Amino acid sequence: MNLRDIRILYLRELRSALRDRTIVTGSILVPIFLYPLILWLAYAGFTFVSGQSADLKSRVMLNEVPTANILLQQQFRSDAQIELKTVRDPQLEIRNGTLDALVEFFPEDNSSAISANFKARITYDESRDRSDTASSRIEQKIVEFRTKDLERRAGQLGISRAAYQDFWVESSNVSSNLQMVQFVLGLMLPTFLLVMLATGAMHPAIDSTAGERENSTWETVMTLATSRSNVLIAKYLYVATMSFTAGLLNLMAMIFSLRAMLAPIFSRNGMDVSISIPMESIPVILLGALLMALLVSAVMMILASFARTFKEGQSMVSPFYVVIMIPMMFLSAPGMEFTVKLALVPVMNVTMMFREAIQGIYHWPLIGITVAVELACIAAAMFIATTLVKYEDLVTGTYSGSFLKFALGQIKRRGPSPQ
Amino acid sequence: MTSPITVRELSKTFFDEGRGEIRAVNSISFECHEGEVFGLLGANGAGKTTTLRMLSTIITPSSGSAAVLNHDVVTEAEGVRRNLGFYSASTALYPRLTARETIDFFARINQYPAARVDERVNYLIERFGITKYADSRVDRLSSGMKQKVSIARTVAHDPRIVIFDEPTVGLDVLNALEVQESIRQLRTEGKTIIFSTHIMSEAEKLCDRIAIIHGGRILACDTLANLRTSTGEHYLEDIFVHYVKDPSDPVIRK
Repeated sequence: MNLRDIRILYLRELRSALRDRTIVTGSILVPIFLYPLILWLAYAGFTFVSGQSADLKSRVMLNEVPTANILLQQQFRSDAQIELKTVRDPQLEIRNGTLDALVEFFPEDNSSAISANFKARITYDESRDRSDTASSRIEQKIVEFRTKDLERRAGQLGISRAAYQDFWVESSNVSSNLQMVQFVLGLMLPTFLLVMLATGAMHPAIDSTAGERENSTWETVMTLATSRSNVLIAKYLYVATMSFTAGLLNLMAMIFSLRAMLAPIFSRNGMDVSISIPMESIPVILLGALLMALLVSAVMMILASFARTFKEGQSMVSPFYVVIMIPMMFLSAPGMEFTVKLALVPVMNVTMMFREAIQGIYHWPLIGITVAVELACIAAAMFIATTLVKYEDLVTGTYSGSFLKFALGQIKRRGPSPQ
Repeated sequence: MTSPITVRELSKTFFDEGRGEIRAVNSISFECHEGEVFGLLGANGAGKTTTLRMLSTIITPSSGSAAVLNHDVVTEAEGVRRNLGFYSASTALYPRLTARETIDFFARINQYPAARVDERVNYLIERFGITKYADSRVDRLSSGMKQKVSIARTVAHDPRIVIFDEPTVGLDVLNALEVQESIRQLRTEGKTIIFSTHIMSEAEKLCDRIAIIHGGRILACDTLANLRTSTGEHYLEDIFVHYVKDPSDPVIRK
């Protein structure tokens, strides 16, 4: 290994990359702008849709409102979100979508201590959002009415709520607002970070392998007066740099975006808190991002090295991109715990490590296992890469096929040729 | 004095899924003398490029040996590459580097003394007439300019041996003449040049000695004058046909 040569080769790769529109877009601009933009659009869209839905009137028919509870009917009438209608066949109209719900009132069956007590039945179509919303609104209105009515009646009799309601559930959330914010961030940020680490590595990995072949510069690389391992290391470091940079830029952009986006949601729910991650988690996040960048870069380079053109490279690397996304989908489930078993699974372990670090939780033995597992995977990938360099048909680009096809082909005929 | 390039019983076998083993180069031997232009003349698929790729350490021989300035192409590949410039019409330049950056990169990575790199880069830019375009990106240069930058980067580290693998393939007449002129100039500087071509006139004009290669074997290797005497033919085309038609009569002189 010659550090001087690696530096020269690395700077050449980096200089070329920073002048390539696709790489600059994929590894720098997309991480900064795309996901924050998607989040903004999703937030704006959600706000718009929920606004629309809140403004939408529920078309409700009331049937046989007890005269003693005429107050309830008045409350329905005065509700701006409810439009009272009278139709001939309410069931049919609900099915047709021209009426959202029917409320029927019946007298209480058994003799009740409460005078003018009633039973209400709501008929609605759960397969339609508007009808479902109408049902919820009606139910909420009736429950509120009943609670107030009971309180009023109990008050008149001099009975406290505790006396007539023997049992009820009271919950108390001991987490601070900041902890709640970090919990939400822990669910969101690791996924985005890993997606960006992979996105940032993809184009450079293909460009530095298949791209060299497509541009006919590969043969020139093979005649450089430096060892092939130096060439390999320089290319690898370059791809990992682009991946790591993309991940970090995205993380920063996401935090800034979420600050602006989540803050109003939390404040609407009475939580006055600034969106941030614990400072002490930053080294853990950087370490995880670095390990993932090194692993993703190595695997992508190995896969792309079988391609002769950029297009072939994309089709060989894309499946890995999908594979890396699958564990992350499982991990977005909030109930997932970071266990020893999970720490032994590459990619999953780093995601859990990120999630916990963002929440300010550090299980050092599990972090240690995660680092060891990732380093082992990186070492295995590097071993495969250095072994592949010994295969002449792969190095000279005369081979075209998948890794599996290549491995089977080599087993069938011969071992690596010395380089 | 030992020859800068010696090739002994060199062979290369490829494996093809459909056709099985293919012997592209079959036990060839030759030597190149200091400061000469040595031509490998052969039709497409004769084994020229495979031979030159083995000499430049891109691929490894299946058997036999080859040495460049006493560095074995298998065991001392880096030593070979330090002393060798490899040029091929099929190889390209890094499109996103400027001409200056390209020459600078190849000089440095091919171990030219760091303190003298800038001086060398400026010299080559002036010598190949690319001063005006030195700071333009390669992908914005004309094909003629790219050709000049390509030769400049081949000799950026001032190698003693330069290999030209079919350097004029695909070039127009003027660019091909420019390349031929560059080869002549390099010879006057004392470089040893191996040059492969299937164009007879090019070999006739440039080469001090010519090896006729066909089906992976060298059928003849001598000066043009001696080849004329041996075959009784005047034109290189006729000499080539003479050997290729009757490969049982090899005339190989070292």
